[in-house]
Amino acid sequence: MLFFIVRRLLLMVPTLIIISIVGFVIIQAPPGDFVSSYIAGLEAQGDLVDPELMDSLRARYGLGEPVYAQYWRWVSSFAQGNLGYSMSLRQPVTEIIQERLASSVTISLFSLILVYLIGLPIGILSATKQYTAVDYAFTVIGFLGVATPSFLLALVGLWLMFLWTGNAALGLYSAEFQNAPFSLAKVLDLLRHIWLPALIVGTAGTAELIRTMRANLLDELPKQYVTMARARGVGPIKLLYKYPLRIAINPVISTIGYTLPALVEGELLVSLVLGLPTLAPILLRSLLLQDMFLATSIIMVLAILVVIGTLLSDILLAIVDPRIRGSI
Amino acid sequence: MSNTLQAGALPPTRTPTLSADTLLSVRNLQTHFFSREGAVKAVDGVSFDIKPGEILGIAGESGCGKSVTSQSIMRILPKNGKIVGGEILFNHANQTIDLATTEPEGRLMRAIRGKEIAMIFQEPMTAFSPVYTIGNQIIETIRIHQPVSKGEAREQAIEMLHRVGMPNPGRNIDQYTFNLSGGMRQRAMVALALSCRPKLLIADEPTTAVDVTIQAQILKLLREIQADLGMAIIMITHDLGVIAELTERVMIMYLGKEVEYGTVADLFHRPQHPYTRGLLASIPKMEPGRVAINPIEGSVPSPYAMPAGCKFHPRCPDFIAGVCERHDPPLTEIAPGHQVSCYLYGGWEVQP
Repeated sequence: MLFFIVRRLLLMVPTLIIISIVGFVIIQAPPGDFVSSYIAGLEAQGDLVDPELMDSLRARYGLGEPVYAQYWRWVSSFAQGNLGYSMSLRQPVTEIIQERLASSVTISLFSLILVYLIGLPIGILSATKQYTAVDYAFTVIGFLGVATPSFLLALVGLWLMFLWTGNAALGLYSAEFQNAPFSLAKVLDLLRHIWLPALIVGTAGTAELIRTMRANLLDELPKQYVTMARARGVGPIKLLYKYPLRIAINPVISTIGYTLPALVEGELLVSLVLGLPTLAPILLRSLLLQDMFLATSIIMVLAILVVIGTLLSDILLAIVDPRIRGSI
Repeated sequence: MSNTLQAGALPPTRTPTLSADTLLSVRNLQTHFFSREGAVKAVDGVSFDIKPGEILGIAGESGCGKSVTSQSIMRILPKNGKIVGGEILFNHANQTIDLATTEPEGRLMRAIRGKEIAMIFQEPMTAFSPVYTIGNQIIETIRIHQPVSKGEAREQAIEMLHRVGMPNPGRNIDQYTFNLSGGMRQRAMVALALSCRPKLLIADEPTTAVDVTIQAQILKLLREIQADLGMAIIMITHDLGVIAELTERVMIMYLGKEVEYGTVADLFHRPQHPYTRGLLASIPKMEPGRVAINPIEGSVPSPYAMPAGCKFHPRCPDFIAGVCERHDPPLTEIAPGHQVSCYLYGGWEVQP
């Protein structure tokens, strides 16, 4: 087991290197750079730009160098924990990510918890009451959940909140807690605000989980080990939880790692619509302005989170399934 | 077994009492399946008795209702299956109870399942959940039915694994099914079923999914264990070879009906019902110069379009026109302990 974890941790290194190269190259791919889009912005406002200033800016950021040299410059400082300087926000990238990452992770984690808290029991209920009114109702809700884009849900949520509270600026905290130090009151205030974005981000995941859980459990219920357990006198509760559910839930556990990127992606659109102070709006802005240090750094941080999430779910799966434990 | 446990679940007075030398008495059992297409009479009036320690065979083609009979006794029918008539009388703790009217998920039925009546199935690989050790599941069964500590249950489980011939019980108990070979899985499954030393073991085609070597091992094992523990066995199979090898008396079923019932000698040497004779003729013979198999003409009719009268008449070589397609022949005793339901051997006198 320890060997497995160490091996997987080592494998993460080449994975992340490849992601960094691909990410960097794609962000570099569009013509122009930050300086030219910055100048375009200035010219659009009617300002004249001194060509010498352009050149000195380029030289300062190393934008004139070949791509591999720029990559090396960025990646070596990234590895040392220096994420560079955001040209558009005029702030060190580390600071920006520190400010924003916490909100992003909080929303994603809350959605993850909501997804499992809502999806699992409904999936189990749907399977055990197959072809009843309850099952049909949740099937319809599930399809709606999968089919509705999260930004639309966010808009509807925003509208409803405005109708009910007269306040469309949601945020994660009330004004008085915005800059307050960490406290129980602040956490409670967070809970009062976070449920809506978390619910919206998690809707598609919940609906998918209901479908997966229902299908998996329906596969397991008629299996012979369940009949055999019943024929041995095992009671109805264990007959569901100890036997079929324990196996039906394995694929669900193994996909926790893949749920994470989906949540991050969902969180991006939802945060934009709801105006939440997460990484998402900054990522979008940095891409538009070709603020490459900021953009690549955010992508790298997200990639690291996803790779860690995948590792965690693989370890979880090995813990719950002896067949996998035996083969690693 | 405590008295309170039975008092609540026992059906009212009318349950007849079985004599002590009868373990189980199935009387006119009718189990139907209900679906959108209609009702299927999977078991349609089957009766038989089993004495303690006796081995009974139930044989017939697929779909004849032999598995449904065993599921009815255990009360583990699928959701759309229902016992609509008859009695399943079982001697339990010096009392006769009717399993047919016992609440299937109630405490009494659960106390009988696994403890008094146990079952083994076709696929040894899937009898155990793959995510728990075989010991976990055997110990669980023991502790459901007996007030023993985990340690004692473990001792008993190891003892049972030893009895079924596992090579290294102390180690095997902590293994998973995927660690075991095919033959060992079968043995482990038998140990699981027998962990509480049931009075009756229902073996539902336990040899169908395994190769002949393992099949021979299982039959040998079952015979040894039967002699050892003195339990009764209902052997359900479509394989007449298994019947000949293991059982004393046999019931032949066709489309939910009992067509012939007698000793193994009766059935193999003096088969009476045309269906029984057909089944025997369809076994390939190993005599020189004769390799032809004589299968029964036609095929099993759709369960939704059952023939009237005797259900075998469309395929019967001895069909009596004007009789067989109109009336359903009753089970008639033609010799002591040998019963047939066929008009070739009478049965007229009880006809309305």
